[in-house]
Amino acid sequence: MTIKLYDYSLSGSCYKVRLLLHFLDLHYEKQQIDFYPGRQHKSLDFLQINPLGQIPALEDDGLQLRDAQAILCHLANKYDGSGRWLPRDERHFGAVMMWVMFAGGELMSASAARLHDALGYKLDINAARASAHAAFRILDDHMTLREIEGAKWIVGDHPTIADIACFPYVALSGDGGIGHEDYPALRNWMRNFRRLPRFHAMSGVPEYV
Amino acid sequence: MSLEQDRWTGVGLDRQVQAASSNPVILDGQALALWRGEDGPVRVWEDRCPHRGMRLSFGFVRGDTLRCIYHGWAYRTDGQCVEIPAHPDLAPPKTICANSYPAESRYGIVWTNLSGAGSAALPDFGADEGWEPVRSIYVDRPASVVREALHSFDFGDVSEVRMNGGSAALVRVRSGLEILFAVQPVSDGKTALHAVAKGQGVAGRRADLARRLERLRATIERA
Repeated sequence: MTIKLYDYSLSGSCYKVRLLLHFLDLHYEKQQIDFYPGRQHKSLDFLQINPLGQIPALEDDGLQLRDAQAILCHLANKYDGSGRWLPRDERHFGAVMMWVMFAGGELMSASAARLHDALGYKLDINAARASAHAAFRILDDHMTLREIEGAKWIVGDHPTIADIACFPYVALSGDGGIGHEDYPALRNWMRNFRRLPRFHAMSGVPEYV
Repeated sequence: MSLEQDRWTGVGLDRQVQAASSNPVILDGQALALWRGEDGPVRVWEDRCPHRGMRLSFGFVRGDTLRCIYHGWAYRTDGQCVEIPAHPDLAPPKTICANSYPAESRYGIVWTNLSGAGSAALPDFGADEGWEPVRSIYVDRPASVVREALHSFDFGDVSEVRMNGGSAALVRVRSGLEILFAVQPVSDGKTALHAVAKGQGVAGRRADLARRLERLRATIERA
């Protein structure tokens, strides 16, 4: 059994997958894709691995997967015997999936703003930042209510793949000109996340908590 | 000399500033770091390391020192730099000091005064006891618009809205509930409200009130 991750160290989406692999203490092989400036994710060779030309991609025992959110679901489903990272009970499963989808949807505006500022992507930066702020506000409102309930995580009383999926692009948003000043509950949630055992940082996410 | 008005402004909810944390806040366009040691009160500093200008809100807390994320310079609660990791044998000169502002906690709200004069009185709405934090909420409108909205928003059966200068408003509802808002101008177009509440059973109503404030924000921004 070999897990292979097509990875780019500066990618927040790849970071999601690395976080879960590390939390689950799984051994895996990493293949670095020259995302910038090489655009290797658009190469003919890589398009045969992921025709969408996006990273991350994952190979696991003959299975080929794309999309960070789908990969998180797969890894938690297959390897997390405790079931805590992806709870299956009816009270939690739907809520976890809802926020996982949010991470791959609305929150990706923060990724777009970062691609613009850090890698010079051509896009409407004001629209990207406005959409990211709108998404952050929705998550901050949720985490504010969670704080009032005495809870720390997006769903339930243990961190889930919803927290993992949402964390990177909230934490990295400063690279796209999106500050954390307006989001006290997100700041507290991020700090709690960074204090998890086996948490590891990436470039742009402080190691010291 | 500071050109800031001698006025206390709420900049956050005391209970929401975690132990051992540093947090970014913008007040009237000025970047501040709100930080708390592993215990003790919240401090309000200029968000700038005297060494290379890095934001201290990116920093981390060890014991009762705030350390800059850039080179690890450590600052004591009075602002004095006490350790420079690259020069472990050096006692940092007294001149290396983070710029701090007065900070007071009252009604569960952290207040600061950027003028440094500190002669103005803290907003006074009676005894400090019995206030429960509701939430902080950030509204994409100028402070004047937000203050006005506090007079007209439907909080229930409002009997009185009392302003304290421009920096606080007390909303009294006939049921006995009182909601206190600290008004923090962030920039020309943005305002933060830090809300706490008092009254019978208020601890169990925090979630309801927090959701009410989401409606307040939406109402103001749609007008």
